[in-house]
Amino acid sequence: MFALVDVNNFYVSCERVFDPWLEGRPVVVLSNNDGCVVARSQEAKDLGIATGTPWFQVAPHAAAWGLVARSSNYELYGDLSARVMEVIGRFGAWQEVYSIDESFLGLPEAGEDVLASTAREVRSAVALHVGVPVCVGVAPTKTLAKFANHVAKRNPGLGGVCSLGSLPPGELERIQSRLPATDVWGVGRKSGEKLAALGIGTIAALRAADPLMIRKRFSVVMQRTVLELNGTPCIAPVDERADQQQVMFSRSFSTPVDTAAQMEEVMSVYAQKAAGRLAAKGLRASVVTVSAGTSRFAHGTQSFPSASVPLPVPTDDPIRITRAAVAAMRGRFEPGAAYVRAGVMLSGLGRGGQAEQLDLFSGLAEGEDDADAAAGAPGGGAAGGRAGARPGRAADPTGGVEGLGALLGSVRARFGEAAIGLGQGGLAEPAAWSMKREFSSPKYTTEWSELPRVRA
Amino acid sequence: MFGVDPAPRRPAPPGSAAEPTGFASPARDYFQGGIDLNRHLISDRTSTFLMRVEGSSMSGAGICDGDELIVDRSLAPRDGSVVVAVVDGELLVRRLRLGGGGPRLEAEPGPGSGPGSRPVSGHQPGPAARRPGDPVPEDFTVWGVATRCLHRL
Repeated sequence: MFALVDVNNFYVSCERVFDPWLEGRPVVVLSNNDGCVVARSQEAKDLGIATGTPWFQVAPHAAAWGLVARSSNYELYGDLSARVMEVIGRFGAWQEVYSIDESFLGLPEAGEDVLASTAREVRSAVALHVGVPVCVGVAPTKTLAKFANHVAKRNPGLGGVCSLGSLPPGELERIQSRLPATDVWGVGRKSGEKLAALGIGTIAALRAADPLMIRKRFSVVMQRTVLELNGTPCIAPVDERADQQQVMFSRSFSTPVDTAAQMEEVMSVYAQKAAGRLAAKGLRASVVTVSAGTSRFAHGTQSFPSASVPLPVPTDDPIRITRAAVAAMRGRFEPGAAYVRAGVMLSGLGRGGQAEQLDLFSGLAEGEDDADAAAGAPGGGAAGGRAGARPGRAADPTGGVEGLGALLGSVRARFGEAAIGLGQGGLAEPAAWSMKREFSSPKYTTEWSELPRVRA
Repeated sequence: MFGVDPAPRRPAPPGSAAEPTGFASPARDYFQGGIDLNRHLISDRTSTFLMRVEGSSMSGAGICDGDELIVDRSLAPRDGSVVVAVVDGELLVRRLRLGGGGPRLEAEPGPGSGPGSRPVSGHQPGPAARRPGDPVPEDFTVWGVATRCLHRL
């Protein structure tokens, strides 16, 4: 069985852990440079504030609405994400960290009451350990687990937990015939329109569609979705992901890794893969998150370490990123455990710092807001967006962003960290204006000088 | 195995097993990197957080202004636990009492930290600064249990 666990309004929930005053108030978190809204509390959603709304449009109403804005605090989100993932991992036979705030979890086959109680345990464990609310969906396939999670989130009466098998008979059919097919994981807006033209408008209709017809008209991916809706698991682990929110590289090993030195090697290779993807998209990361997991089939120690380290400056430098990944896993390795899976995720993505200065000087400044709006799009639908759409840029020596990270990386590797950089920012810390974070909360968990204050 | 030690060799302290040969110490294979305070002071890193104390109303418990607390969210608070509690949207460190009359929080001011001690600087919007020793409203939730106090001498 599959569980999909995700944190409700993750960024806002992180802010509330150390600032309980925010509880019950409308809160939004803003994108890089405080451009636009990327996360909203339920209260902010109720005010009708949409994801992607530019902050300058909301700001004039903030006082009247009692709305609180926070700049993205990637260091905090990365650290709390790693903690959440580690807690979730303790409940599964395997774990697949899918994004900064979602994770699939493998649960052994069991009766409905056992599944439901495990789901509730996951939810209360995360609330206890980290202090953020999660929803848990349990079902026989990943697509259905996503759907169950969706149901849990939309129905407060379920207490944040939904195991599809425990729904009353007919209820599943009723919900699925009411919701649009685009609510299904992996069905985008375009496919949705095409499906609707074929008379397939609801989830129920998609489930009832002929898989072979779907394969012919769409793709094998859509066919899998139909099969998964019918209870046949066929979506393999999502090993790679690169969109405007995060870049991920993870793999299962052919033979288990059981020494710290091997794990260090794995981290080093995966970090470089992820950094390569990052550079190819012209993005910089501010946080590196690593995770690993054992298998339930192994007899030794069970272990699901997860850790997150902030990068001192947003970067796509493969060396810095690799160093951070290796350091993050160091000390987390459980002797005696046989790890079968590991991953590296880069988050806090943006075009801040050095690249921004280059854009400025070469007259290629781009609409930040577009990127940010895409970053806020649910489901990472913007994958393959900007960088890929400009094939000409790689060849342009003044404006080319693609490949630059790799080039800089190799020059730095040979001649030292400060050997090459872009504009002024490359040689020293980037100017303070490089990333506007006017409303940022402290780096509560990653900076000794910014620990949360407790009054005595 | 032959090791090259780049650090200048210091004379061995008297009584220790000096190694005049230049061979790497066989003990090195067992060296685990010294005592790691994280291992000894933190039982579950997913639920453990550090906080900095502002104010003196707990100095009777050895918790002083500027000290750092190790706080574990996963521990069950007991009668007498020093806890971080959420009161009126603010984090507060107090002694928890679970006796008759329901759970309550108690300040533990030491000598010289009675009323009139250094006022607390509010770092976030919240209620007006309460004075140490004032009764705390019964409406609170426990955020975590403080397990250690790091006090600079």
